[in-house]
Amino acid sequence: MFLKVQLPWNVIISAENLQPESLMLQRAIVIRLLGDFAVKKATKDLGYYLAVMTLEKVGEGKVRLHTGDVLFPVVFNAVTFKIFKGEILEGVVHKVLKHGVFMRCGPIENVYLSNMKMPDYRYVHGENPCFMNEKMSKIGKDVVVRFMVIGTKWMEAEREFQALVSLEGDYLGPIVSPNI
Amino acid sequence: MSGEEEENAAELKIGDEFLKAKCLMNCEVSLILEHKYEQLQQTSDDPMNQVSQVFEKSLQYVKRFSRYKNPDAVRQVREILARYQLAEFELCVLGNLCPETVEEAIAMVPSIKTRGRAQDDEAIEKMLTDLSLIKKFE
Repeated sequence: MFLKVQLPWNVIISAENLQPESLMLQRAIVIRLLGDFAVKKATKDLGYYLAVMTLEKVGEGKVRLHTGDVLFPVVFNAVTFKIFKGEILEGVVHKVLKHGVFMRCGPIENVYLSNMKMPDYRYVHGENPCFMNEKMSKIGKDVVVRFMVIGTKWMEAEREFQALVSLEGDYLGPIVSPNI
Repeated sequence: MSGEEEENAAELKIGDEFLKAKCLMNCEVSLILEHKYEQLQQTSDDPMNQVSQVFEKSLQYVKRFSRYKNPDAVRQVREILARYQLAEFELCVLGNLCPETVEEAIAMVPSIKTRGRAQDDEAIEKMLTDLSLIKKFE
Protein backbone atom coordinates (compact mmCIF):
# COMPACT_ATOMS: atom_id res chain seq x y z
CA MET A 1 0.00 0.00 0.00
CA PHE A 2 1.21 3.48 -0.84
CA LEU A 3 1.16 5.77 2.19
CA LYS A 4 1.33 9.49 2.68
CA VAL A 5 3.45 10.13 5.74
CA GLN A 6 4.65 13.20 7.59
CA LEU A 7 8.25 13.02 8.74
CA PRO A 8 10.33 15.19 11.05
CA TRP A 9 14.00 15.14 10.02
CA ASN A 10 17.16 17.09 10.61
CA VAL A 11 18.97 18.55 7.63
CA ILE A 12 22.59 19.59 7.99
CA ILE A 13 23.93 22.42 5.88
CA SER A 14 27.69 22.76 5.87
CA ALA A 15 29.21 26.10 6.71
CA GLU A 16 30.40 26.82 3.15
CA ASN A 17 26.86 26.45 1.81
CA LEU A 18 25.50 29.02 4.20
CA GLN A 19 24.69 32.28 2.46
CA PRO A 20 23.03 35.34 3.79
CA GLU A 21 20.28 35.35 1.13
CA SER A 22 17.43 33.37 2.64
CA LEU A 23 16.26 32.06 -0.73
CA MET A 24 19.59 30.35 -1.30
CA LEU A 25 19.40 28.82 2.13
CA GLN A 26 15.92 27.45 1.52
CA ARG A 27 17.19 25.96 -1.73
CA ALA A 28 20.19 24.39 -0.03
CA ILE A 29 17.89 22.81 2.57
CA VAL A 30 15.55 21.36 -0.09
CA ILE A 31 18.44 19.97 -2.15
CA ARG A 32 20.02 18.40 0.88
CA LEU A 33 16.69 16.94 2.03
CA LEU A 34 15.99 15.40 -1.40
CA GLY A 35 19.48 13.90 -1.47
CA ASP A 36 19.21 12.42 2.03
CA PHE A 37 15.74 11.10 1.21
CA ALA A 38 16.86 9.27 -1.94
CA VAL A 39 19.81 7.67 -0.14
CA LYS A 40 17.62 6.40 2.68
CA LYS A 41 15.83 3.99 0.28
CA ALA A 42 13.61 2.30 2.86
CA THR A 43 12.98 1.71 6.56
CA LYS A 44 11.46 -1.25 8.32
CA ASP A 45 8.59 0.80 9.74
CA LEU A 46 7.49 2.93 6.80
CA GLY A 47 8.69 0.88 3.84
CA TYR A 48 10.23 2.27 0.67
CA TYR A 49 10.79 6.01 0.37
CA LEU A 50 9.42 7.14 -3.01
CA ALA A 51 9.24 10.91 -3.15
CA VAL A 52 9.05 14.07 -1.09
CA MET A 53 5.71 15.79 -1.69
CA THR A 54 5.83 19.03 0.28
CA LEU A 55 8.12 20.72 2.76
CA GLU A 56 5.87 21.80 5.61
CA LYS A 57 8.15 23.53 8.04
CA VAL A 58 11.75 24.58 8.48
CA GLY A 59 12.67 25.24 12.09
CA GLU A 60 15.37 27.44 13.48
CA GLY A 61 18.89 26.35 12.67
CA LYS A 62 21.29 25.29 15.40
CA VAL A 63 25.02 25.73 14.93
CA ARG A 64 27.02 22.61 15.68
CA LEU A 65 29.92 23.47 17.90
CA HIS A 66 32.90 21.77 16.33
CA THR A 67 32.15 21.92 12.62
CA GLY A 68 30.23 25.14 12.27
CA ASP A 69 27.59 23.30 10.23
CA VAL A 70 24.02 24.26 10.84
CA LEU A 71 21.33 21.73 11.66
CA PHE A 72 17.78 22.57 10.60
CA PRO A 73 14.80 20.61 11.90
CA VAL A 74 12.32 20.15 9.03
CA VAL A 75 8.89 18.57 8.67
CA PHE A 76 7.79 17.25 5.28
CA ASN A 77 5.23 15.02 3.59
CA ALA A 78 6.35 12.04 1.56
CA VAL A 79 5.01 8.99 -0.26
CA THR A 80 6.16 5.55 0.87
CA PHE A 81 5.25 1.99 -0.07
CA LYS A 82 4.82 -0.66 2.58
CA ILE A 83 3.67 -4.21 2.03
CA PHE A 84 1.32 -5.71 4.64
CA LYS A 85 0.58 -9.29 5.50
CA GLY A 86 -2.98 -10.11 4.39
CA GLU A 87 -2.97 -7.44 1.71
CA ILE A 88 -4.12 -8.24 -1.82
CA LEU A 89 -1.96 -6.79 -4.58
CA GLU A 90 -1.05 -7.23 -8.21
CA GLY A 91 2.45 -7.86 -9.51
CA VAL A 92 4.32 -8.78 -12.69
CA VAL A 93 6.28 -12.04 -13.04
CA HIS A 94 9.95 -11.47 -13.91
CA LYS A 95 11.52 -14.87 -13.21
CA VAL A 96 10.18 -18.41 -13.48
CA LEU A 97 11.88 -21.19 -11.51
CA LYS A 98 10.94 -24.84 -11.03
CA HIS A 99 9.61 -24.24 -7.55
CA GLY A 100 7.86 -20.95 -8.07
CA VAL A 101 7.98 -17.50 -9.61
CA PHE A 102 9.39 -14.11 -8.61
CA MET A 103 7.33 -11.00 -9.19
CA ARG A 104 7.80 -7.24 -9.07
CA CYS A 105 5.34 -5.19 -7.12
CA GLY A 106 5.94 -1.47 -6.80
CA PRO A 107 9.55 -0.95 -5.70
CA ILE A 108 9.80 -4.56 -4.43
CA GLU A 109 11.74 -6.95 -6.68
CA ASN A 110 11.44 -10.13 -4.67
CA VAL A 111 7.83 -11.16 -4.29
CA TYR A 112 7.92 -14.95 -4.25
CA LEU A 113 5.02 -17.21 -5.17
CA SER A 114 5.92 -20.80 -4.35
CA ASN A 115 4.48 -23.74 -6.27
CA MET A 116 3.09 -24.93 -2.92
CA LYS A 117 0.94 -21.80 -2.76
CA MET A 118 -0.55 -22.33 -6.22
CA PRO A 119 -1.50 -25.99 -5.80
CA ASP A 120 -3.48 -26.45 -9.03
CA TYR A 121 -0.61 -25.16 -11.19
CA ARG A 122 2.08 -27.41 -12.69
CA TYR A 123 5.51 -26.43 -13.94
CA VAL A 124 5.85 -26.63 -17.73
CA HIS A 125 9.36 -27.01 -19.24
CA GLY A 126 10.43 -25.23 -22.37
CA GLU A 127 12.19 -22.25 -23.80
CA ASN A 128 9.79 -20.05 -21.88
CA PRO A 129 9.00 -22.10 -18.79
CA CYS A 130 5.75 -21.33 -17.01
CA PHE A 131 3.14 -22.69 -14.64
CA MET A 132 -0.19 -23.86 -15.97
CA ASN A 133 -3.37 -25.30 -14.50
CA GLU A 134 -6.01 -27.58 -16.01
CA LYS A 135 -8.02 -24.66 -17.30
CA MET A 136 -4.90 -23.61 -19.28
CA SER A 137 -4.53 -20.54 -17.15
CA LYS A 138 -0.85 -19.60 -17.42
CA ILE A 139 1.66 -17.91 -15.11
CA GLY A 140 4.81 -17.02 -17.05
CA LYS A 141 7.18 -14.13 -17.56
CA ASP A 142 5.46 -10.71 -17.81
CA VAL A 143 2.09 -12.08 -16.70
CA VAL A 144 0.14 -9.97 -14.20
CA VAL A 145 -0.90 -11.93 -11.11
CA ARG A 146 -3.21 -10.96 -8.27
CA PHE A 147 -2.06 -12.47 -4.97
CA MET A 148 -2.38 -12.31 -1.20
CA VAL A 149 0.65 -11.49 0.95
CA ILE A 150 1.28 -14.21 3.56
CA GLY A 151 4.62 -13.04 4.92
CA THR A 152 7.02 -10.13 4.72
CA LYS A 153 10.67 -9.84 5.68
CA TRP A 154 12.88 -6.79 6.17
CA MET A 155 16.48 -7.30 5.03
CA GLU A 156 18.48 -4.82 7.07
CA ALA A 157 21.74 -5.11 5.10
CA GLU A 158 20.13 -4.46 1.70
CA ARG A 159 17.44 -2.14 3.07
CA GLU A 160 14.88 -4.16 1.14
CA PHE A 161 11.71 -6.10 1.75
CA GLN A 162 10.91 -9.58 0.57
CA ALA A 163 7.42 -11.01 0.48
CA LEU A 164 5.88 -14.45 0.30
CA VAL A 165 2.55 -14.59 -1.47
CA SER A 166 -0.21 -17.08 -2.19
CA LEU A 167 -2.96 -17.75 -4.71
CA GLU A 168 -5.06 -19.68 -2.18
CA GLY A 169 -8.26 -17.64 -2.06
CA ASP A 170 -11.09 -16.44 -4.26
CA TYR A 171 -10.43 -14.11 -7.18
CA LEU A 172 -6.66 -14.58 -7.04
CA GLY A 173 -4.45 -15.66 -9.95
CA PRO A 174 -3.22 -14.48 -13.33
CA ILE A 175 -5.17 -11.63 -14.87
CA VAL A 176 -6.08 -12.63 -18.38
CA SER A 177 -7.31 -9.46 -19.99
CA PRO A 178 -5.80 -6.51 -18.20
CA ASN A 179 -8.46 -3.83 -18.58
CA ILE A 180 -5.93 -1.22 -17.54
CA MET B 1 3.62 -2.90 13.91
CA SER B 2 3.42 -1.62 17.40
CA GLY B 3 0.90 -4.01 18.93
CA GLU B 4 1.48 -7.61 19.88
CA GLU B 5 -1.37 -8.72 17.68
CA GLU B 6 -0.24 -10.25 14.43
CA GLU B 7 -0.52 -8.14 11.32
CA ASN B 8 -3.33 -9.11 8.99
CA ALA B 9 -4.57 -6.58 6.47
CA ALA B 10 -7.56 -8.78 5.61
CA GLU B 11 -8.90 -8.11 9.10
CA LEU B 12 -7.62 -4.54 9.00
CA LYS B 13 -4.98 -5.31 11.61
CA ILE B 14 -2.19 -3.17 10.26
CA GLY B 15 -1.15 -1.28 13.36
CA ASP B 16 -2.74 1.90 14.66
CA GLU B 17 -0.21 4.21 13.07
CA PHE B 18 -1.09 2.85 9.62
CA LEU B 19 -4.81 2.65 10.26
CA LYS B 20 -4.78 6.40 10.77
CA ALA B 21 -2.22 7.13 8.05
CA LYS B 22 -3.43 8.40 4.74
CA CYS B 23 -3.22 5.71 2.10
CA LEU B 24 -2.90 6.53 -1.58
CA MET B 25 -4.38 4.70 -4.55
CA ASN B 26 -2.09 3.69 -7.42
CA CYS B 27 -3.72 6.30 -9.66
CA GLU B 28 -3.06 9.05 -7.08
CA VAL B 29 0.58 8.02 -6.71
CA SER B 30 0.89 7.98 -10.49
CA LEU B 31 -0.22 11.61 -10.68
CA ILE B 32 2.19 12.64 -7.91
CA LEU B 33 5.20 10.83 -9.36
CA GLU B 34 4.54 11.90 -12.94
CA HIS B 35 4.29 15.50 -11.80
CA LYS B 36 7.62 15.16 -9.96
CA TYR B 37 9.17 13.64 -13.03
CA GLU B 38 7.94 16.46 -15.27
CA GLN B 39 9.45 19.00 -12.88
CA LEU B 40 12.78 17.20 -13.16
CA GLN B 41 12.58 17.16 -16.94
CA GLN B 42 12.45 20.94 -16.90
CA THR B 43 15.58 21.29 -14.84
CA SER B 44 17.65 18.39 -16.08
CA ASP B 45 18.65 16.88 -19.44
CA ASP B 46 18.69 13.37 -18.10
CA PRO B 47 15.86 13.17 -15.55
CA MET B 48 15.94 9.36 -15.23
CA ASN B 49 19.45 9.70 -13.91
CA GLN B 50 18.25 12.09 -11.23
CA VAL B 51 15.72 9.80 -9.60
CA SER B 52 16.27 6.88 -7.26
CA GLN B 53 15.64 3.29 -8.33
CA VAL B 54 12.77 3.16 -5.86
CA PHE B 55 11.18 6.11 -7.66
CA GLU B 56 11.75 4.63 -11.10
CA LYS B 57 10.33 1.20 -10.28
CA SER B 58 7.35 2.68 -8.48
CA LEU B 59 6.58 5.03 -11.36
CA GLN B 60 6.60 2.12 -13.83
CA TYR B 61 4.35 0.13 -11.53
CA VAL B 62 1.72 2.79 -10.86
CA LYS B 63 1.58 3.75 -14.55
CA ARG B 64 0.73 0.15 -15.37
CA PHE B 65 -1.63 -0.43 -12.45
CA SER B 66 -3.67 2.75 -12.44
CA ARG B 67 -7.28 2.09 -13.38
CA TYR B 68 -7.98 5.79 -13.77
CA LYS B 69 -5.67 8.18 -15.57
CA ASN B 70 -7.52 11.47 -15.75
CA PRO B 71 -7.02 13.65 -12.62
CA ASP B 72 -10.74 14.48 -12.40
CA ALA B 73 -11.66 10.80 -12.49
CA VAL B 74 -9.06 10.04 -9.81
CA ARG B 75 -10.58 12.71 -7.56
CA GLN B 76 -14.11 11.40 -8.17
CA VAL B 77 -13.11 7.84 -7.28
CA ARG B 78 -11.94 8.98 -3.88
CA GLU B 79 -15.07 11.10 -3.40
CA ILE B 80 -17.37 8.19 -4.18
CA LEU B 81 -15.52 5.70 -2.01
CA ALA B 82 -15.37 8.22 0.86
CA ARG B 83 -19.18 8.06 1.13
CA TYR B 84 -19.07 4.49 2.42
CA GLN B 85 -17.37 4.82 5.83
CA LEU B 86 -14.39 2.80 4.69
CA ALA B 87 -11.00 2.82 6.36
CA GLU B 88 -8.31 4.50 4.24
CA PHE B 89 -6.72 1.13 3.61
CA GLU B 90 -9.97 -0.45 2.40
CA LEU B 91 -10.79 2.52 0.21
CA CYS B 92 -7.47 2.24 -1.61
CA VAL B 93 -7.63 -1.54 -2.10
CA LEU B 94 -11.04 -1.11 -3.76
CA GLY B 95 -9.81 1.78 -5.89
CA ASN B 96 -6.76 -0.22 -6.97
CA LEU B 97 -8.36 -3.54 -7.75
CA CYS B 98 -11.76 -2.33 -9.03
CA PRO B 99 -13.74 -5.47 -8.23
CA GLU B 100 -16.64 -6.12 -10.58
CA THR B 101 -19.01 -7.97 -8.28
CA VAL B 102 -20.04 -7.73 -4.63
CA GLU B 103 -18.59 -11.16 -4.01
CA GLU B 104 -15.25 -10.11 -5.48
CA ALA B 105 -15.23 -6.88 -3.46
CA ILE B 106 -15.72 -8.84 -0.24
CA ALA B 107 -12.97 -11.29 -1.22
CA MET B 108 -10.59 -8.37 -1.83
CA VAL B 109 -11.53 -6.49 1.37
CA PRO B 110 -12.97 -9.05 3.82
CA SER B 111 -12.93 -6.46 6.62
CA ILE B 112 -15.80 -4.50 5.07
CA LYS B 113 -18.09 -7.32 6.19
CA THR B 114 -16.51 -8.18 9.52
CA ARG B 115 -16.16 -4.85 11.23
CA GLY B 116 -19.80 -4.70 12.19
CA ARG B 117 -20.43 -1.66 10.06
CA ALA B 118 -23.24 -3.49 8.33
CA GLN B 119 -22.13 -2.65 4.82
CA ASP B 120 -24.98 -4.40 3.11
CA ASP B 121 -24.64 -5.96 -0.30
CA GLU B 122 -26.83 -3.31 -1.89
CA ALA B 123 -24.57 -0.51 -0.69
CA ILE B 124 -21.52 -2.33 -2.04
CA GLU B 125 -23.30 -2.96 -5.33
CA LYS B 126 -24.13 0.74 -5.64
CA MET B 127 -20.53 1.69 -4.90
CA LEU B 128 -19.21 -0.65 -7.62
CA THR B 129 -21.73 0.67 -10.15
CA ASP B 130 -20.70 4.26 -9.41
CA LEU B 131 -17.05 3.35 -9.83
CA SER B 132 -17.64 1.60 -13.15
CA LEU B 133 -19.50 4.67 -14.39
CA ILE B 134 -16.45 6.85 -13.78
CA LYS B 135 -14.35 4.41 -15.76
CA LYS B 136 -16.84 4.45 -18.61
CA PHE B 137 -16.96 8.22 -18.89
CA GLU B 138 -13.30 8.86 -18.32
